[in-house]
Amino acid sequence: MSFITVYCHIDENSCSVNGETVLQKNEESSDSWFKQLYKDLAIEYPKFYKMDMLSQAGFIGSELIKRANPDLISNYNDDEIALLFANSESSADTDIRFKESYLDKKTPSPSLFVYTLPNIVLGEIAIRNKWFGENMFAVLPKFTPDFFVQYGMVLLTTGSKAVLAGWLGILEGRVEVFLFLVETESNKGEPFDIENIIKYAGF
Amino acid sequence: MDTLKEDLKKHIIEQLNLEDLQVSDIDDDALLFSTDGIGLDSIDALELIVLMEKYYGIQVTNPEEGKVAFLSINTMADYIAKRRT
Repeated sequence: MSFITVYCHIDENSCSVNGETVLQKNEESSDSWFKQLYKDLAIEYPKFYKMDMLSQAGFIGSELIKRANPDLISNYNDDEIALLFANSESSADTDIRFKESYLDKKTPSPSLFVYTLPNIVLGEIAIRNKWFGENMFAVLPKFTPDFFVQYGMVLLTTGSKAVLAGWLGILEGRVEVFLFLVETESNKGEPFDIENIIKYAGF
Repeated sequence: MDTLKEDLKKHIIEQLNLEDLQVSDIDDDALLFSTDGIGLDSIDALELIVLMEKYYGIQVTNPEEGKVAFLSINTMADYIAKRRT
């Protein structure tokens, strides 16, 4: 049996873990909302500043999940944690910026180009944590709980013991992020099924 | 020289799309390509080469020269100052 043991939400103004608010956006700060969250995490990872918003969203969400469940790193081997993400905008947020970089500024930006694929966020999380497990990023018409359950169960029956999953909706300032951790070797949390994903996602 | 370093930081932030960084976040002697600095990589090295030509009219054609020049803001500023004279 598998359980959802931790979940996290980030929208344009607030961030919560397991339903409890972690941080509200400070409108008076000169820092971006994601930089405020990064600072709140109190970690040193300069590569964060190079990431596009999609990767920053996945990175921050995964760090928040880890903070809520410190055993995530120590309980599993590096190939036992799978990553399963999805959204409906792919990397359009950065694709648009890249297009502007060569149309308006006449110089295609290599540093933007490297983020013009949605699955780059999986690489960023894997590099950060030295996780070598299975990973998948799907672009779907809408948030689809069935996808997470069906694909997640495949991962959990083929070698993975935990799945860090989530929806990363990032486009032109809109932020709709929902991450959750599924674990097999746990007796806490709620069963990993469609009803609970819908309940925790809230959208 | 301080103005040059300040401008250099602004150009790096703009060219490398590091909008979340501020000039004050980059130390003059921080190693640019180290995770202790701002964690740049080979893609960013390309951006720095473009930056040098675009803003300072300097073509970095020798990779070995680039390796030394791009170590930090201090070394980049020194390199620009020498190439300008």
